[in-house]
Amino acid sequence: MYTNLKRGRAVSMALCGLATALVVAAIAIDRAQAQSTSGQIPRQADGKPDFSGMWDNPKEPGAKGPATVFNRSRMSPFVPGGEALFYEPRTGDPRHDEPRAFCMPSGFPSAFLGPYPIQLIQTPQYLVMSTEFMNVTRIIPLDGRPHKTDIEPTFYGEPVGRWEGDTLVIEARNYKRWSLDDWYYQNPKEYRMHTEALRTIERLRRVDLNTISYQFTVDDPKIFTKPWTVDWEMKRHPEWEKTGLYEMVCNENNRCEGGKCRDSK
Amino acid sequence: MQNPKGKMQNAAAVFVFLLATAPCIQAHHSFTAEYDSNQPVKVTGVVTKVEWTNPHIWFFVDVKDAQGRVTNWGFSGGPPGVLQRRGITKNAMKTGDVIVVEGFRARDGSNNASGGRVTFPDGRSVFTASNEDKAPK
Repeated sequence: MYTNLKRGRAVSMALCGLATALVVAAIAIDRAQAQSTSGQIPRQADGKPDFSGMWDNPKEPGAKGPATVFNRSRMSPFVPGGEALFYEPRTGDPRHDEPRAFCMPSGFPSAFLGPYPIQLIQTPQYLVMSTEFMNVTRIIPLDGRPHKTDIEPTFYGEPVGRWEGDTLVIEARNYKRWSLDDWYYQNPKEYRMHTEALRTIERLRRVDLNTISYQFTVDDPKIFTKPWTVDWEMKRHPEWEKTGLYEMVCNENNRCEGGKCRDSK
Repeated sequence: MQNPKGKMQNAAAVFVFLLATAPCIQAHHSFTAEYDSNQPVKVTGVVTKVEWTNPHIWFFVDVKDAQGRVTNWGFSGGPPGVLQRRGITKNAMKTGDVIVVEGFRARDGSNNASGGRVTFPDGRSVFTASNEDKAPK
């Protein structure tokens, strides 16, 4: 019996050793694969990093859950009167309180902060940034052209891109006063708004095959004393390539528009 | 060869599993714009129609009260594209299925609600609402 026990222990230790070796080997292989991909980011024929692909929405590294919102602690102090422009209380009028319930646009950046896939398509001249959320698409010229001075402000602003080394810098202006983010999901009593003075600056850097460092700066001098910046990232999802973005048409069957539901018949 | 009932059960199981594990299904507007979190709704009934449409799927349920009167309720779920990406098709919930639905009534007091939780006869219970939406307890 003692001999059997000893033999059993020996077999058990051998199996344990084998299992440990397999785990160590698996970790080593995994690390080797990670290292082999980290230095290899896709590039276009002109040598610029290629951001094309399917990506998750920008968020804090490791963050999960619903739409990304800005953290108040990262924002600059308010200018006099800025707080009143920033926090927009609900009034009871559904068209004011939640225009999206009437299929009005989310605006930028809000529309791109929800938990929907974003497809990036890049050419030497343009970056196309399209979210499945209402199929909103930004077509961003990459030649650093001057912003227009003779247009009405818009929900999604006027983005212009330029390269700073391997970093793509997108500056957008000409925004209409609108919601800044999806804060009202957390606080149903108020919106957080930006003014028509908003200027946004995105800095995209592909740090490895699966990650874009996405730094976002908000400059709204009618609300804040100085620009402020958050560091988010976008994660690649190649498994979404197969289906691409699905169609999302808000007016197709918005049955309870503004809180008044249609009859089902 | 699998019988059609077995296939249906499998499809339902996939539907339940995928909905239960879905990390996030976002609404296109805030919950309070359309639903009243002070008016929880829980009904048992037979699915009469499924609308696999944007911006939210809707499913309708005939609910019979103690007197035998039948009322048709409408419940909203996630956007079809989000569900479809997880492998859930419009055939996952069929006319004739008996389900228990929990959610919150529409603000206009009509027989419409957020379809926050669906429970099938075998006891499988799934969270079907958006993450931003109020979850039935």
